[in-house]
Amino acid sequence: MAEIDFERRLERLFADAPELPDAAAFTVRIEGRLNRGWNTRRWLLGAAGLAGGVIGASQLVVSNLFQRVESAEQSARVLGQGLARVTPTTDMVSALSGGYGVWLAGGVAILTMGFAVSRLFEEL
Amino acid sequence: MPMSGANSSSFASFHDVELCSYAAAGERRAFGELVRRHGSSVRHLLRRMGAQAAESDDVAQDAFLAAFERIAEFRGEGTFAGWVKKIAARQYLRRLQREKRLSALAAEGGKDEADAHVGDADHRIDLDEALRGLSTAERLCVSMCYGAGLSHGEAADALNLPLGTVKSHVKRGLEKLRARLAPNGATADGAVLEGRRGNG
Repeated sequence: MAEIDFERRLERLFADAPELPDAAAFTVRIEGRLNRGWNTRRWLLGAAGLAGGVIGASQLVVSNLFQRVESAEQSARVLGQGLARVTPTTDMVSALSGGYGVWLAGGVAILTMGFAVSRLFEEL
Repeated sequence: MPMSGANSSSFASFHDVELCSYAAAGERRAFGELVRRHGSSVRHLLRRMGAQAAESDDVAQDAFLAAFERIAEFRGEGTFAGWVKKIAARQYLRRLQREKRLSALAAEGGKDEADAHVGDADHRIDLDEALRGLSTAERLCVSMCYGAGLSHGEAADALNLPLGTVKSHVKRGLEKLRARLAPNGATADGAVLEGRRGNG
């Protein structure tokens, strides 16, 4: 069909666009804008992380967490000793039931929260 | 999953679809390669739709940035260039709407400049030259349908015009282009050129 041939020719003509002389400069401008946006996002993430860290640290200090952890350690140790009398234990279980377990759980919780927050920002 | 560690020079040998998957993973240099490949054709399209050079560059930049933000939506069903061209064409129309220029352009009648140049068909007339013989509305509609790959219905939606009006603009535009682009001065053979996209 002549019309279809002409339409295909027209589409080819539209697609056949010679490179403009300032094509490289155009690309650089877009890359610059992309990088600017990325850097802005990184700064915002960093600032948000810093602010969150400061707030979190101050909350920890205010809430006497360290004293509570120490008392939790003592409780866990007492509990572990009680368990040791009742059941045979392994080193791992006794380590976890002592102070290490609390710190380990805390560390995992912080890591998980950090991962979740970073994923949330990536999605945003 | 794109591998890490590809550098700018290695991207030159990649297919568009691979570059898109890199870009979707946040690799901005891969997207830069796509811009390098298709930037000129997007800018040409906007100029053919009637945008001035500076305006076409602005719209093309915004279109590429929008494409980067939405790159995960690109499924590789068509070409990347076609996808960006559609984004760019719609953004240009939105800009015209914002500046209240669209309604004036779209309503513009068929100011017929074609006749003055039909006799030049002995010479090779390129598409840009031929498009200059169309009215603004005809040029806009033909460029959207044949340059950006929109259907008549999509063009009508984007232009906020009745489908029949868009079809008329396309038909008249195609007739003029056919007359101007025909080799050896041959003119349209009287066939009705409503176009393959006429089903809306």
